[in-house]
Amino acid sequence: MRTRRSSLHALVGAYVLDAIPVPDRAGFERHLLTCEQCRDDVRGLREAAALLAAAAAVTPRPELRDSTLQAAAVTRQLPPAVGGARPARRTWRRRLPAAGIGRPWLAASAGAVAVLLAVTAVVLGVHLAGMQRSLAAQERRDGALSAILGAHDAVVLTAAVTTGGTATVVMSHHARALVFTASGLPRLSGSRGYELWLAGPAGTRSAGMLPPGRHGMTGPMIVGRLAPGDAVELTVEPVGGSSHPTSAPIVWLYLGP
Amino acid sequence: MPDADCRRWQLGQADQGASDEYGNVSVLAGGDQDGARGRGPAGPAGPVDLEAALAAVARGDEAAFAVVYDRAAPAVLGSVRRILRDPAQSEEVMQEVLLEVWRTATRFDPAAGSAAAWIATLAHRRAVDRVRSEQRAAEREVRAAAAVVAYDEVADAVEASLDRERVRRCLAGLTELQRESVTLAYYGGYSYREVAHLLGVAVGTVKTRMRDGLIRLRDCLGVG
Repeated sequence: MRTRRSSLHALVGAYVLDAIPVPDRAGFERHLLTCEQCRDDVRGLREAAALLAAAAAVTPRPELRDSTLQAAAVTRQLPPAVGGARPARRTWRRRLPAAGIGRPWLAASAGAVAVLLAVTAVVLGVHLAGMQRSLAAQERRDGALSAILGAHDAVVLTAAVTTGGTATVVMSHHARALVFTASGLPRLSGSRGYELWLAGPAGTRSAGMLPPGRHGMTGPMIVGRLAPGDAVELTVEPVGGSSHPTSAPIVWLYLGP
Repeated sequence: MPDADCRRWQLGQADQGASDEYGNVSVLAGGDQDGARGRGPAGPAGPVDLEAALAAVARGDEAAFAVVYDRAAPAVLGSVRRILRDPAQSEEVMQEVLLEVWRTATRFDPAAGSAAAWIATLAHRRAVDRVRSEQRAAEREVRAAAAVVAYDEVADAVEASLDRERVRRCLAGLTELQRESVTLAYYGGYSYREVAHLLGVAVGTVKTRMRDGLIRLRDCLGVG
């Protein structure tokens, strides 16, 4: 037990350097909750690491400044973390003593992937305001969305839809869930719709029909129970849905092992 | 001995950097003095405290975000590029990180560390996670769609800064194994297992060298 704790404490440097493999990172962060000395160490060592970053500074191309400022101007900011925040946050705060290290870092990551979405949206020319609105509305309705978007291991995947449009997936292996959105999907006749699938070693499972698009945006749709090796597929099916895909996928995104 | 040398050096330089309440001398701000002078869009004259600018950003102040960008973007881009290497991908990540700063400025807690360390942590983790993500193919698609212009290496002159010199001196005070463990992890984006493999030493050794090296670096730099 003693050995285990001291070996965990030795990881504080590796943690600050992001040198702990992702699957083991959560374990150390749990340790941080109970180790005040570790939190102090993390705080101080991060200041040193920040100077390593400063020492590597390079001047960005001037165009990047304008596009970043423009993207910010159309990106909604997270509300401050006051009481009545999402349940996951409250739990985290309760478990952390006052001024604990880690808390703001975690909170800060909560919107990270939504920002990624916004960047992707800008890049791909997606109707950003629509996406922001639908994201915001969904966030209010369902904490599951923010859990995925805020997951420490969340990644964004984007692919062109072969029939037109773009599909974007934000996925967290940790949460075993993903958020699917699409833009610019061609409108289908009334008798057919888009059906989302998970397909992999665990079999092909329907994740449901996509809701009708609004302002060219479809979703966000939350899909849980991801299995290792799954891919996300989109097919065109009769409007009531099919039990198995009856047409070739128009988008296919491998989610990783 | 090297520590004392670094401290003395830092004391001598203290008047050249904007010191904040955490004792950081212009952390992440290596570019800001050059930047504010050279580009001029940073707003009010004189160095603006990054914490103060971030607090204004939290209230939706777009002009303050421009200040934060000018001060933070060079270090973000620099550290991300060390890891990712690919210039276009690095720019993309830099923009993502700065937008993340904009969006989550409301959640920044000064009690938990400096704004510079907060931003540097966001940037580094984002870059490392991207490297380790196995979704490279999908990311390439995003990059292709971005129609990134040709990257001008000449425009990418590394900014000469006080921070560079301080860090260089303090890194020189580490043992070779400490220095290599810290820099391979931070600038190379390698995990401790990968660093151990590269250096041909035990994993446990690398973990402690990373910790001890960073502690020595922190003490030499006089931060934290």
